[in-house]
Amino acid sequence: MATARKKKKPATKNGVQATRLWLMYPPRLIKRPVVWELSHQFKVVTNVRQVSVTDEIGVVCLELDGERSEIKAAIKWLEKLGVKVEPVEFNVIES
Amino acid sequence: MIMEKHDGFMKALKCRECGREYPLAATHVCEFDFGPLEVAYDYDRIKKSLTRAAIESRPQTMWRYRELLPIAGAPTVGCQVGFTPLVKADRLAKRLGIRELWVKNDAVNYPTLSFKDRVVSVALSRSKELGFKTVACASTGNLANSVAANAAAAGLKSFVFIPSDLEQGKVINSLVYGANVISIKGHYDEVNRLCAEIAGKFGWAFVNVNMRPYYAEGSKSMGFEILEQLGWRIPQHTVVPMASGSLLTKIHKSYQEFVKIGLVRDAKYHVHGAQPTGCNPISAAQKAGLDFFKPVKPNTIAKSLAIGTPADGFYALKVMKETGASAEDVTDDEVREGIRLLAECEGIFAETAGGVTVGVAKKLIASGRIPANDSVVLCVTGNGLKTLDAVAGHVGRTRDIKPSLREFEALINSEAELAAAI
Repeated sequence: MATARKKKKPATKNGVQATRLWLMYPPRLIKRPVVWELSHQFKVVTNVRQVSVTDEIGVVCLELDGERSEIKAAIKWLEKLGVKVEPVEFNVIES
Repeated sequence: MIMEKHDGFMKALKCRECGREYPLAATHVCEFDFGPLEVAYDYDRIKKSLTRAAIESRPQTMWRYRELLPIAGAPTVGCQVGFTPLVKADRLAKRLGIRELWVKNDAVNYPTLSFKDRVVSVALSRSKELGFKTVACASTGNLANSVAANAAAAGLKSFVFIPSDLEQGKVINSLVYGANVISIKGHYDEVNRLCAEIAGKFGWAFVNVNMRPYYAEGSKSMGFEILEQLGWRIPQHTVVPMASGSLLTKIHKSYQEFVKIGLVRDAKYHVHGAQPTGCNPISAAQKAGLDFFKPVKPNTIAKSLAIGTPADGFYALKVMKETGASAEDVTDDEVREGIRLLAECEGIFAETAGGVTVGVAKKLIASGRIPANDSVVLCVTGNGLKTLDAVAGHVGRTRDIKPSLREFEALINSEAELAAAI
């Protein structure tokens, strides 16, 4: 059984990390190939793990591998586009 | 109590989406589909150990149902938590026009006056079993207070992450216990993502992240207590406030588990969800007949329910559908009215989430979605002393006089309301 780790463990080598996100698209972006665009604009490896698309919302569970700075820039780009970006846990901040 | 197995009565962590099983470690997401993990139990063994007689012979705390709570051994944190009053609220019932009304009052839960003490004591007990020395959470209120207090009592180190714009009173409620409070500047979403990143990077027990499968199970104790305190029966209706939606799903699970192990008779019941209109992703979806929610930007005085992208929203919608229940939401004014109603009728001062629950119950009863001849339990999850600002200026006024009997008599004679109170 895995128990508490005593020391900080880097996620990956050389500042590269894996980030798991939920992307929520408004209706106007549902037809746009957002993940394809993202993978061409930023040096990140994209891996779609789950998808649900309706007329009203698109939800994509996406794994991003890359340098931390590159992932942060990709998230910023997504948000600017109007995509809601949540960690895989959704709301970590509770009351 | 049968305790021969190392994992107590737990079998595994199980993905709520695909059903894959994982070891009982500090982990919370399925590696295949990123579905949330949930604790699976050995109900056959529990059935032999957890009888009504066994429960009734134990101390009046949430741990009297410990076979159905996710710890391997005896609880070590929050041993006094739970078994809060279930109040028969006849005066409120009359005001709302319902035959039988009960209030499950976690406004007086020990030690920090909210239902979060239930989930935190489970998470911290399990954290100690797994060998953690440091616990953490990201919170704007009740959760932070509970982690700080229970960690202090258990001798654990604690980190509490808060958004930088949090009111001073709420910060003090965590600082006083010696917690390391880290205030983060930035937009809510950025702060949220950073907290998730910190939770993944450091080897801590982050109660609502890597310990979430255990943490969330603590909510079931509220449901178990309702069933026992009602005389081992399921109420026809339960109204539950929804933030992430987790509490509603766990109340439902608690009812199902008691049926499964034969502690209560199976009966039809409805678990209704309550949200503020200023943050209503789940109730809006339920009312629109959708099985998914759309994220919203919260704008409500009910801060403890202000989660715009509720992690358990999908599951809460599913439970309401399964139990033939409704969701409803109420405006800030209706929240305040709900707080006043509960206080004036029953002497219970609830935080804003309690006002939401009462306000929604009122709407559900008035619209016939809760029939007037049925029985209903309202879940009150936190204490009004924590959200004084929300009702300040809305709960009457003081009458100021000099230290003079004549002045007091003049005041009485000038106001019919005061004269009637004599």
